[in-house]
Amino acid sequence: MSTDINVVIASFIDRLKRRQISGSYQVSLETLQLLKRFVSAARWSSIDDLIAQLRELGTRLGKAQPTEFTCGNIIRRVLALIRDEVEEELASHNQLQKNAEPMISSMFSLLQKPSTTASTPTAQHSTSTSSSAPADQHKTDLRQVIIQGIKDLIDEIANIDEGIQQIAVDIIHDREILLTPTPDSTTVLKLLIKARERNNRNFSVLVTEGFPNNTVTAHNFAKTLSEHGVETTVIPDTAVFALMSRVGKVIIGAKTVFTNGGTISSTAGVSSVCECAREFKTPVFAVAGLYKLSPLYPFDIEKFVEVGGSQRVLPTMENDRVGNHNRLDTVNPIADYVPPENIDIYITNIGGFAPSFIYRVVWDNYKQQDVKLEN
Amino acid sequence: MAGKKGKVTGKGGNGGNKAELVQDERLQAIVLTDSFETRFMPLTAVKPRCLLPLANVPLIEYTLEFLAKAGASEVYLMCASHADQISEYIENSRWNMPWSPFRVSTIMSLESRSVGDAMRDVDNRGIITGDFILVSGDLVTNMEFDKALEFHRKKKAEDKDHIVTMCLSKASQFFRSRCHEPAVFLLDQSNDKCLYYQDIPLENSNQKTSISVDPELLEDVDEFTVRNDLVDCHVDICSPHVPAIFQENFDYQFLRRDFVKGVLTSDLLKKSIYAFITEDYAARVESWQTYDAISQDFIARWCYPLVLNSNLLEDQTYSYESEHIYKEKGVVLAQSCKIGKRTVIGSGSKIGEGTIIENSVIGRNCQIGENIIIKNSFIWDNAIIGSQTAIEHSIVASNVKIGSKVVLHDGCVIGFNVVLDDNMVVPVGTRLSEACVERQPSQFLDSEPYGFDDTVDRAAKSTNALPARELVGEKGVGYVYESDDSDYEDVSSVLDKVTNALAYRFDDLYLSDNSISSISAKLKKKRRSSTTSAYTDREEDDDDEDEEEDFDAEAIATVERAMENNHDLDTALLELNTLRMSINVTYHEVRSATVVALLRRTYHFITTQTLGPKEAVQKVFGQWGLLFKRQAFDQEEFIDLANLILEKAVVQAFEKPEFIIFTALSCLYDHDILDEDVIYTWWDQTSQDSSHAEAKTLTGKWVEWLRTADEESTSEEEESDVTDSE
Repeated sequence: MSTDINVVIASFIDRLKRRQISGSYQVSLETLQLLKRFVSAARWSSIDDLIAQLRELGTRLGKAQPTEFTCGNIIRRVLALIRDEVEEELASHNQLQKNAEPMISSMFSLLQKPSTTASTPTAQHSTSTSSSAPADQHKTDLRQVIIQGIKDLIDEIANIDEGIQQIAVDIIHDREILLTPTPDSTTVLKLLIKARERNNRNFSVLVTEGFPNNTVTAHNFAKTLSEHGVETTVIPDTAVFALMSRVGKVIIGAKTVFTNGGTISSTAGVSSVCECAREFKTPVFAVAGLYKLSPLYPFDIEKFVEVGGSQRVLPTMENDRVGNHNRLDTVNPIADYVPPENIDIYITNIGGFAPSFIYRVVWDNYKQQDVKLEN
Repeated sequence: MAGKKGKVTGKGGNGGNKAELVQDERLQAIVLTDSFETRFMPLTAVKPRCLLPLANVPLIEYTLEFLAKAGASEVYLMCASHADQISEYIENSRWNMPWSPFRVSTIMSLESRSVGDAMRDVDNRGIITGDFILVSGDLVTNMEFDKALEFHRKKKAEDKDHIVTMCLSKASQFFRSRCHEPAVFLLDQSNDKCLYYQDIPLENSNQKTSISVDPELLEDVDEFTVRNDLVDCHVDICSPHVPAIFQENFDYQFLRRDFVKGVLTSDLLKKSIYAFITEDYAARVESWQTYDAISQDFIARWCYPLVLNSNLLEDQTYSYESEHIYKEKGVVLAQSCKIGKRTVIGSGSKIGEGTIIENSVIGRNCQIGENIIIKNSFIWDNAIIGSQTAIEHSIVASNVKIGSKVVLHDGCVIGFNVVLDDNMVVPVGTRLSEACVERQPSQFLDSEPYGFDDTVDRAAKSTNALPARELVGEKGVGYVYESDDSDYEDVSSVLDKVTNALAYRFDDLYLSDNSISSISAKLKKKRRSSTTSAYTDREEDDDDEDEEEDFDAEAIATVERAMENNHDLDTALLELNTLRMSINVTYHEVRSATVVALLRRTYHFITTQTLGPKEAVQKVFGQWGLLFKRQAFDQEEFIDLANLILEKAVVQAFEKPEFIIFTALSCLYDHDILDEDVIYTWWDQTSQDSSHAEAKTLTGKWVEWLRTADEESTSEEEESDVTDSE
């Protein structure tokens, strides 16, 4: 059984490396599926053991693609879930132990669903020694609880767009000009379409072309938008500053949001757009699902920004003559770091937050001790 | 599909998924791990080509990675030389793990000597059940194979006779990995069907470049293109008929030259081949030159998403830093060392104070001392390099020990386990190996190294059994390896030396490549106007088929050819220059060859009695003497030229050598190629020398006459000056 799960993990890692799974949405869902299998297959002697195993898995996944933070985020979410569960368990257990003799805990135990089953054996057993029997009971119990938690997470992520849309639709006004530099974000696309459909508002959208990595995506994005009756204009990346004075809002899709409120966007050039927006005091709205929040702090930005292929910058390898080692060099970053001061508000599926408040949301969902997964 | 896989829950999920895949479309792949060439000698004497590391990853990994991405489910590795090593490597690699995306098996095809043999072996074993991918084990690509496969299936549905889809990559004229198997593809414009294939000889080989196409082939074709801008990296999607065709035509050796051409021109087979043209990166590591180029491209992220920091091997820990620097964990860098751009450093390597590394790959556990300069080089695992060594554009294989203050010049290849003593200087293009690599005696004859200075030359000759002490030093271990690429058919050894050197001799090569492509541009135009066969000549069209030529013969032939066909001077010069640089000889040899050629021509005229001696000399030297203007640049060199004329004329056995020498020199004088000073100094030197006294008589008189004339004129001038001033 354990070899089977190892095969699954290894092939998952291989596919991550090969980028056969791409996009944080897909990665998050697949990671959750993997975790579900992992938890159901794993054997652990104590809950700490399971946590350690999960942390190790998280490290491996993180190494497979260091710029894809979603795997780590998801694992940390699950870890936090387990830790919460354990804490709760412990609290109720202590409470039970304390209140075992007086037997007036009925009001408390009513609130705790799983401990009702657990309370009976403990009550039956001798009160002083905590034998293995309750631990066993916990295990099967916990497994189900964790799997249930993972299922809930899957539901959450699957329904993220709706959550975001509900909040975001109201921020788009009639006859407003919006600009989006992240045409690869389906969340942004769905949001705009929804705003058009539901409120029947007339607004126009400027889409930056995102040369060289995203040009095709940008064109498709613009096409889809115009098909849905949104007035759309494709603009070159260089025209952003010139047009910014007319733009009412900038909407960006985030790939990862760090604790400081900074974000890694999935397209290069977003940072300069946000900088322009700041110059013109245009509000910048970053759209992100909760699972994109990462408890990490961006100390080394260079490490977080992935550098893509050169072939996109210079077509058909024409850059070099043979033997010339001082040849033309190209650098093509495919992501961009946007500092928190250039973002006005984050719109997540649980509400809108200022960048400075992101750390609170992060600590609601993650545990401090899981920030570093490596031991 | 990626989404589905995860959702299959339960224990049987993975197995079930596999079964599904098999049902769906089982894609087989044949990897030819052996190239059946010797370009990577002497390293391939120890290790197979596909296990040589490129940017610290064995070459085969790139191919297998490509196949994994392409969705292959069964991979067969055809191994010939060093098959045991390959099979051992595969056994211990991640591809043999249960989570490998495909089932990999090695096939020992030890008796195979060519691609054709390997394919026949495939057929004999009957492993092919459906369409399969045929690749070589040295491919580096980020090609999106899905598209090619889709293309293949679409074409197959349209055309029942479709058997092969060749994946070709578009490249510019100067793309570095292009030069190896230049070929012309005739494609049907409307459906990319390949109509004709013709390999063209490598540039600056002395074979003519022409293609003749049977008009029948073009009968129902409306419009077609002739292309030679395609990099053929030998990625083919083949139908099961292909091995069978190899079986039927037991003389097929090469995949392209024999098979593709054969199929296309065959009247009986009636099979068709299509070309899928992609713009993605695709190249094969075929020679040192392409090795160098592809490493650099790989490091500069041209094959993204296939990059080093995606850590192809399980135990790699590369991370990327700006300016294309990749470092693994556990690299020890001294504070004052400088790591320049496009550099890779493997884990466990230590780099000493003041060392400068640029544009290079350093393997694992290398000990690199202090104040070393490593540029454009490849240092493989466990190498130890002593202080103050300079390595420029070389390959240092695994476990090599290099002493301090060693200088490795451009294009050196230091084989596995070689030891170099302190203070050694290794000249350009030397290849050393730990043990003496055996050669067939016939090849040895023509594999004399050119352009090595005399000491090395001697060393190379004596290395038949002895280690090259001159190069590796007293405590060193190493033998000189001389290229024996002459066994590579159709290509003269001289030429192959050019293309196979790691050194920067590419520029000349590309000059002539330029001329090829301009010719093919011409060719395209011609073709458009008439669909019948076309013939183009090259400057170098000639039937000189002597493959075993040294520089002299080659150069003489070049000049003679130029004279015969009455080329213009520039062309002749360009060719000579290319030849000179490719074999790396001095101008002295060039002059000598030219002199010999000119004298022979003169001799020819005289003996056939077409012209009298004087006319002959004047005609030949008057027209072609100008060559010397670009072959000699200072007084010494002109003196050398005069000496050469003297010597060679004597050797040529003219009836009246003295007369020939005199006329030749005076002719050169008349054309302002030799000036008085040169002649005087030369004469002062040679007149004391008693040799060729006979041959010098006339010249002596002439020089004296010149002197007096000169004196007269100068005195006249002086006089006139005096009168003027008065």
